[in-house]
Amino acid sequence: MSQRIFITGFGAITSIGENVDENFQSLVEARCGIGKADVLETVHRDMPVCEIKLHDRELLELAKAPGGKGFTRTATLGLIAVKEAIRSAELSRQEIHDSAFISATSTGGIREFEKYFYQLQENTGPGPWSQFRDTANPGDHAERIADELGIKKYVGTVSTACSSAANAIMMGAQMIKHQQVDRVICGGTEALSKFTLNGFNSLFILDKEHCKPFDEKRKGLNLGEGAAYLILESEQVVNRSRRKPVAELKGYGNANDAFHQTASSPEGTGAWKAMLEALQSAHLDPVHVGYINAHGTATENNDLSEGLAIQKIFGDDVPHFSSTKPYTGHTLAAAGSIEAVFSILALRHQVVFPNLNFGQPMKELTISPVTGILRNAKIEYVLSNSFGFGGNTSSLLLGSAA
Amino acid sequence: MEKKSYFVNGVGVISPQYTFDNTVFLPQPQEYENTILKCVVPDFKAYIQPVQLRRLSRLLRIGLSAAITCLRDAKDEAPTGIITSTGYGFLDDTAKFLTELLQQDEKQLTPTHFMQSTYNALGGLVASHIQCTGYNTTYVSKGFAFETALCDALMRLNEDASQHFLVGSYDEADATQFAVNSKAGYYRAEPTNNLKLFERPAAGSLQGEGAAFFFISAHKTEQTWCSIKDTRMMYAPGEEELTSALIDFLLVNLLSAEDVDIFINGASGDVDHDGIINRIGERFFTKSEQLRFKHLCGEYCTASSFALWMGASVLKKQQIPGIARMNCVPEKASLKNVLIVNQYGGRDYTFILLERG
Repeated sequence: MSQRIFITGFGAITSIGENVDENFQSLVEARCGIGKADVLETVHRDMPVCEIKLHDRELLELAKAPGGKGFTRTATLGLIAVKEAIRSAELSRQEIHDSAFISATSTGGIREFEKYFYQLQENTGPGPWSQFRDTANPGDHAERIADELGIKKYVGTVSTACSSAANAIMMGAQMIKHQQVDRVICGGTEALSKFTLNGFNSLFILDKEHCKPFDEKRKGLNLGEGAAYLILESEQVVNRSRRKPVAELKGYGNANDAFHQTASSPEGTGAWKAMLEALQSAHLDPVHVGYINAHGTATENNDLSEGLAIQKIFGDDVPHFSSTKPYTGHTLAAAGSIEAVFSILALRHQVVFPNLNFGQPMKELTISPVTGILRNAKIEYVLSNSFGFGGNTSSLLLGSAA
Repeated sequence: MEKKSYFVNGVGVISPQYTFDNTVFLPQPQEYENTILKCVVPDFKAYIQPVQLRRLSRLLRIGLSAAITCLRDAKDEAPTGIITSTGYGFLDDTAKFLTELLQQDEKQLTPTHFMQSTYNALGGLVASHIQCTGYNTTYVSKGFAFETALCDALMRLNEDASQHFLVGSYDEADATQFAVNSKAGYYRAEPTNNLKLFERPAAGSLQGEGAAFFFISAHKTEQTWCSIKDTRMMYAPGEEELTSALIDFLLVNLLSAEDVDIFINGASGDVDHDGIINRIGERFFTKSEQLRFKHLCGEYCTASSFALWMGASVLKKQQIPGIARMNCVPEKASLKNVLIVNQYGGRDYTFILLERG
């Protein structure tokens, strides 16, 4: 059980970049992805969203899968990020074949399901919808991606709302620790849809302007889309392949708030437990953490309970923290892996990305986020939080690969 | 992973058969004429307060009641974590919210169906019902969802034998899913009686549903139903690949095909998908009792959880339900090893190995 887990490759696509490098440039230049919905067909066109400005056909070209039959927007985004991760780790065809694949999604192919909702139910004949026959199944996207790449060892899908990708990474690490597999490709993918946009809108938790995490006057979140995947490998495999890891997954924690289906407990029980467990599993003390990439959705509820939980763990010595949601929006099931990639970037470049749009500290908290970019930040470990509906709370602890 | 023992110390199953009462074992087969099998449900008020009941969807009621049945069966031992699995989750709520959204042109929508539509809604509900703040996750990987949940629990018990996991599955025979997937040939084109499913070979299966919860620990109790020895998943294997993986699976568990007393066959009645699994039965397990179950619960992504319940019941009660029997072999004095081989869509193959507790 002392098996160490290394990250040997990563890939990401979001509204601030089509790959990891572009994302990093946007993060350090404080360039956000918030704008109107141009690609998604919705009546809420003016509701700010962090959209990838490429139509489905263009995304398929970017994924180098122009045939792409049955590839939903969710699956295509996933394929793009998985391919980048595979390239960055330089996996061979055989290594891809022998990898396990664990993907996370909040709603699977809902974007195509809502588009062809009536045709799928009524029409037996061929049409643009017939390639999306099983798009309502959340596991379908993972099998499509696995089939396209020739991944054979295992294909799994996790869905715990906004903490999904963090849990996919956790399960990947568990499978390596228990010697079920040597290597796992894991992460999450999320496409904007009318379903989620209207769902969050009906809960009145969307900000009509740019979201302001941890600000006294925060009004809610902005939705985003994107995907990110990591290549996890066991220590033995890394030693054998002499591959240079980009980071180490030091620990992880998962808990449940056991409070409400769509709200966090005011004192942040689950968030506190998840962070504590992540530290304990890594055998580290709070003082070792140099940066927290917070869940920080900018809803009234999340930021309060997360902020209180952070204060409870770190006391008077709270490390630098920020939410990167003002850049990418809340990418739901993909947030955990996108922010794991951002955390790795923070470690590699020793920078803390600023929490954009912050103005006024919350009156319930004694802490406030980093508002300007910090360089030469001397970060050894980063904690990355992901919390979701259903009370699911997860926290990943990442460390330098050295 | 070092081999250890894991025990099923409680079960709670609501299915198209009369299964929520753990004192009986498939007493009277339920018959369905029209390709769709729906749960025989208990009186939910015996499990859930009326004020809460009103707010829950049908599948949340079924799922929560199954979880509570399981916890009661485990003598109210508190789980340290909850791991759930589903294929299509709360598609009924998703479809209701989508219908409203499309009809009202995205205006004036109420959030109830959206809130209840997340795949992890049941895991969260059970957690808050019993105030379990421990490990909690949900797998939605088609025919691997339930076995992944099981595998997750076994790995965690292997690390820390003091834990207990409530591992469950839930899927609903939803009308929207039926409408969409019957066009893709998932279900029989002609109305088919479930008890005659295997007598009339054709393409497509029956739409089924169910919720099954298991209380899994590293220690045996007076309640123990059976032990879970191992589980394995094979993604889109060829026939030879699957066959050798199965032999290897038995071998690493120090068994050969002859040691398998009960072979539970996950054939779904779909001639396009059943070939490999039936040939495995004919080739290796002619001396074993062979059982089928999908004529009893229908086909759904997490149907192998019904098979686990069936295998656990056979081992605990040392009884074979006639309605599930495929073959006729001399009666054995003791039933010890159960092997479940399931398939979903002819692509997701899984093995679960059980032993008398």
